[in-house]
Amino acid sequence: MTYAYLFKYIIIGDTGVGKSCLLLQFTDKRFQPVHDLTIGVEFGARMVNIDGKQIKLQIWDTAGQESFRSITRSYYRGAAGALLVYDITRRETFNHLTSWLEDARQHSSSNMVIMLIGNKSDLESRRDVKREEGEAFAREHGLIFMETSAKTACNVEEAFINTAKEIYRKIQQGLFDVHNEANGIKIGPQQSIATSAGPGACPRNSRDTGSDSGCC
Amino acid sequence: MFGRSRSWVGGGHGKSSRNIHSLDHLKYLYHVLTKNTTVTEQNRNLLVETIRSITEILIWGDQNDSSVFDFFLEKNMFVFFLNILRQKSGRYVCVQLLQTLNILFENISHETSLYYLLSNNYVNSIIVHKFDFSDEEIMAYYISFLKTLSLKLNNHTVHFFYNEHTNDFALYTEAIKFFNHPESMVRIAVRTITLNVYKVDNQAMLHYIRDKTAVPYFSNLVWFIGSHVIELDTCVQTDEEHRNRGKLSDLVAEHLDHLHYLNDILIINCEFLNDVLTDHLLNRLFLPLYVYSLENPDKGGERPKISLPVSLYLLSQVFLIIHHAPLVNSLAEVILNGDLSEMYAKTEQDVQRSSAKPSIRCFIKPTETLERSLEMNKHKGKRRVQKRPNYKNVGEEEDEEKGPAEDAQEDAEKAKGTEGGSKGVKTSGESEEIEMVIMERSKLSELAANTSVQEQNTTDEEKSAAATCSENLQWSRPFLDMVYHALNSPDDDYHALFVLCLLYAMSHNKGMDPEKLERIQLPVPNVAEKTTYNHLLAERLIRIMNNAAQPDGKIRLATLELSCLLLKQQVLTSSGCIIKDVHLACLEGAREESVHLVRHFYKGEEIFLDMFEDEYRSMTMKPMNVEYLMMDASILLPPTGTPLTGIDFVKRLPCGDVEKTRRAIRVFFMLRSLSLQLQGEPETQLPLTREEDLIKTDDVLDLNNSDLIACTVITKDGGMVQRFLAVDIYQMSLVEPDVSRLGWGVVKFAGLLQDMQVTGVEDDSRALNITIHKPASSPHSKPFPILQATFVFSDHIRCIIAKQRLAKGRIQARRMKMQRIAALLDLPIQPTTEVLGFGLGTSASTQHLPFRFYDQGRRGSSDPTVQRSVFASVDKVPGFAVAQCINQHSSPCLPSPSPPSASGSPSGSGTTSHCDSGGSSSTPSAAQSPADAPTTAEQPRPHIPDQLEIVNEMEAEARPSKNSARGAEVETAHLSPSLLPAQQPTISLLYEDTADTLSVESLTLVPPVDPHSLRTLTGHPQPPTPATACPETLDEEAACAEPAGPTEH
Repeated sequence: MTYAYLFKYIIIGDTGVGKSCLLLQFTDKRFQPVHDLTIGVEFGARMVNIDGKQIKLQIWDTAGQESFRSITRSYYRGAAGALLVYDITRRETFNHLTSWLEDARQHSSSNMVIMLIGNKSDLESRRDVKREEGEAFAREHGLIFMETSAKTACNVEEAFINTAKEIYRKIQQGLFDVHNEANGIKIGPQQSIATSAGPGACPRNSRDTGSDSGCC
Repeated sequence: MFGRSRSWVGGGHGKSSRNIHSLDHLKYLYHVLTKNTTVTEQNRNLLVETIRSITEILIWGDQNDSSVFDFFLEKNMFVFFLNILRQKSGRYVCVQLLQTLNILFENISHETSLYYLLSNNYVNSIIVHKFDFSDEEIMAYYISFLKTLSLKLNNHTVHFFYNEHTNDFALYTEAIKFFNHPESMVRIAVRTITLNVYKVDNQAMLHYIRDKTAVPYFSNLVWFIGSHVIELDTCVQTDEEHRNRGKLSDLVAEHLDHLHYLNDILIINCEFLNDVLTDHLLNRLFLPLYVYSLENPDKGGERPKISLPVSLYLLSQVFLIIHHAPLVNSLAEVILNGDLSEMYAKTEQDVQRSSAKPSIRCFIKPTETLERSLEMNKHKGKRRVQKRPNYKNVGEEEDEEKGPAEDAQEDAEKAKGTEGGSKGVKTSGESEEIEMVIMERSKLSELAANTSVQEQNTTDEEKSAAATCSENLQWSRPFLDMVYHALNSPDDDYHALFVLCLLYAMSHNKGMDPEKLERIQLPVPNVAEKTTYNHLLAERLIRIMNNAAQPDGKIRLATLELSCLLLKQQVLTSSGCIIKDVHLACLEGAREESVHLVRHFYKGEEIFLDMFEDEYRSMTMKPMNVEYLMMDASILLPPTGTPLTGIDFVKRLPCGDVEKTRRAIRVFFMLRSLSLQLQGEPETQLPLTREEDLIKTDDVLDLNNSDLIACTVITKDGGMVQRFLAVDIYQMSLVEPDVSRLGWGVVKFAGLLQDMQVTGVEDDSRALNITIHKPASSPHSKPFPILQATFVFSDHIRCIIAKQRLAKGRIQARRMKMQRIAALLDLPIQPTTEVLGFGLGTSASTQHLPFRFYDQGRRGSSDPTVQRSVFASVDKVPGFAVAQCINQHSSPCLPSPSPPSASGSPSGSGTTSHCDSGGSSSTPSAAQSPADAPTTAEQPRPHIPDQLEIVNEMEAEARPSKNSARGAEVETAHLSPSLLPAQQPTISLLYEDTADTLSVESLTLVPPVDPHSLRTLTGHPQPPTPATACPETLDEEAACAEPAGPTEH
């Protein structure tokens, strides 16, 4: 499984905002969301292609570990990207963003790309937080913003991939030290081979794509 | 319950998509599994998909229909999973299976469903399966799987994982084998798992953890931490030019992670686990590696050591993070009261006595890997179980009679380990001895401390305080010696900062016994009955403050702030301040110095006001957080001055005049606040703008006799409202008439004039764009516009009046504040003789600020003094003043139409002010005021002479007065009488922010038609970028300059 870079993400936000569902939706399309079934996962990996480069995203959900301070702070530090999720139908999850963000800024590297996600956009009728509010919050704090629905898969791809694009852009600007794995970025094994033998990597990747297409 | 799940279709062709969530479909999938017991290339996709579907059904069943679990269990379907795993079916299948298991356990919410899944011990078989852990993805999924399981642990489920009879706890023991995995996410997961395990309150399990795994795990963990620390130290020692910063900050963060992790274990408060951990931390890491390194670095021979700053830094972190009383107290005992050299000798003896074995208090590598230790312990355990089948019962008894017996048992176990050749760590006898030695020693030092305190109490009134302290305290206290020494260094504050942090951390540690600190009179916060304080320390602190207030002091702001904190902590009690007069006098001296220091910069720059307020804001909004400070690796490297390192301003020395100004301001704030606090006086002067003084939305104002200009306010989102614009001393406000009282108005918006930008609108001479920014409150947020609107007036004249009024108001507001700063700095207020000469100007200005007066009389809303301050600021703009002067000299490009916006505070200057490049947008509309003619008529004099003169304040003020008369005439000539109040036109267009040019213009502020100011009507090269601005504008300027000449001269 070759890749040019591996980016580590974390997903943060209040419980019940749909973090693990977003993650599963992104990493494994075979689990189709159905009305009477909610499935999530705490860890997932997937290959994406950005600017012709294979990039592996490894996403760690921090759910259930909030009670241990040591754990959350370590997670933040090891990640290159963070999805900060709130639930558009529950205002309190939006109100808690500030403290999440403060935590993230405190513990993460200053380059960490943070994407703000208003999840459950399918539940328009129960909306409690206006889209504009999310946008304003993101603008004020320098985040990327998007509304998604883990249920309908709307914008889920985009959320993860846009974050990856931003990280990739920062790498190219030289903001990230890619040789320092503590940043949450890893150069792929034998990167030279990986880039030159891009097609050669495909069969291996076909696993991901294969499984994806299997259920799409 | 059944309705939904029953399906006809499932049985035959399982592919049916009609109802994949059903028992029938599960049956079909079972059928598929039985047909494909061997994994082949051909069927592996099918198998993977089958397992995935089974998972989905199980999760669905958990949420909707539990009968699927019966079937799953009945058919032993987990066996198929295991079977597939064991066939070495390759990475792909492994990953899929692990992912599926992850999803399965993650999403099961009902405890009964979980029991079903766990009941046959298959999960443990999967845990111990030898996966190919060299594969990064398998590793990640595997550890996530363990983590998911650990999140399901509780007092009931733990029995599925921990087998008391076989002493097996695969989930835990397999996980901790990866505690030092190179991949950080894996290490984090391991820590999560262990914490989840320790959290479960199951005595038998915890006994197992302690007896069988704690020693190997903790000793390896401690070694792992220590190795990082040594690496960290090497990194500091070998650093050149701060090149190691990146690596250093990782290592520091790693250390912090470990400390937080240890603290998380300790606060679970599992007592006997904590004992083992505390013992290891103290005797294997903190004492031998950190504390002994505080001692003279030459001693100690081969023992691993770290440098003094690193040791102080790390110990501060320990005390900031870990609050476990037994640990911090023992540690503090040794640090504060121990004689380190004696300590060292002792251990030396130990080594001699048992030269074969390493001494106990020693940082050494565990003799075998964690994996092997676990293996050994497991076998040992099995033997014991054979011997004593009722081990479990024993364990429970043990738990009830906690205490020495337990320790003995533990030691005995360790001893066994030694016999078995497995650990070779220590014998129980030895450890007891050592502990006793420590006890004795601490008693001794306790005695010593007591006597010293007594002595001091009786004598320090007579003797000089310092002498007493030093005599008594230095006596047997190498640590305090070191502290005082570090605080005394005149060259830099490299060590001092760490020492202060450590003192702060120890005194704020919740687990610390206050008596420990009081004995040596270290500051303990919030103690009411405090009557004395450590004079020697206080003197050192005040000396630091004094140093910080020197022009080239080498004290960083962080050090100063910490000194202030510590001093307050020492001398402030709930009943008042107990500082001795002599110390207070010294402190006042330092404060005085700091005033001098700021004064030196005050004459510097116009932007001074923005800096002054900004520093105050950032200081009050972000008070020092010592914990955050000690998270920053950059302070580990010797202090530097350059911002190119990216080191935060407060943690390095200033670079350049601007930063020196900022620093001076901060020092002033800190010492002022400290001095006021110690004297019990409230702060009445700062901040310069107090919220409560300001007009707020919905205030109702008496606007009779106020100048009000009707306008239409069009906001960015298209909203349009009719308002009256009123300009107050510090604020502009938009009011609407109060329906209940004639002549009164309700404020609908109020914003600070000083943060306002006014620009003309290109194609509409009746309109102005007005923006008011709220200064950024955090480094991540941008300045936030609280008003961004277009104001449309009834005609262009009113528009100009408004513009001028706003612009002048802005300048005046700023001057007023500069004036107040001058008062704060005890700068002499300029005599107001000029007021008379100003006649018209001043009266106009008072008319113009009608409806609310603050108690400013003294600071003079009278223009002359205000102007003085601005003039005073002329002669030197740190950083760019010189460049500007030169520039203006060479190209007197003042009348160029380019707008004079600049450096952060674009005044309500003539045209579209905001372009940074200076030359671009010359919007004539606004500038085409009636005053325009005189403006252009103005002769562009070279600026330099003015500026030089301006330094001389008399001269500076003389000019305005002269001008005012002239100006008034000209003005009246051009404007209709009704417009008279708006007589400050030229000024308004001036750019006042940069000292040099402005100052000249500011002369003209009140008197309308000063030639110099007139030039500015058309615009000014933007001061901060003069080099670029001027060339661009040369032509235009020349054009303007020509006509200007004749009129005036």
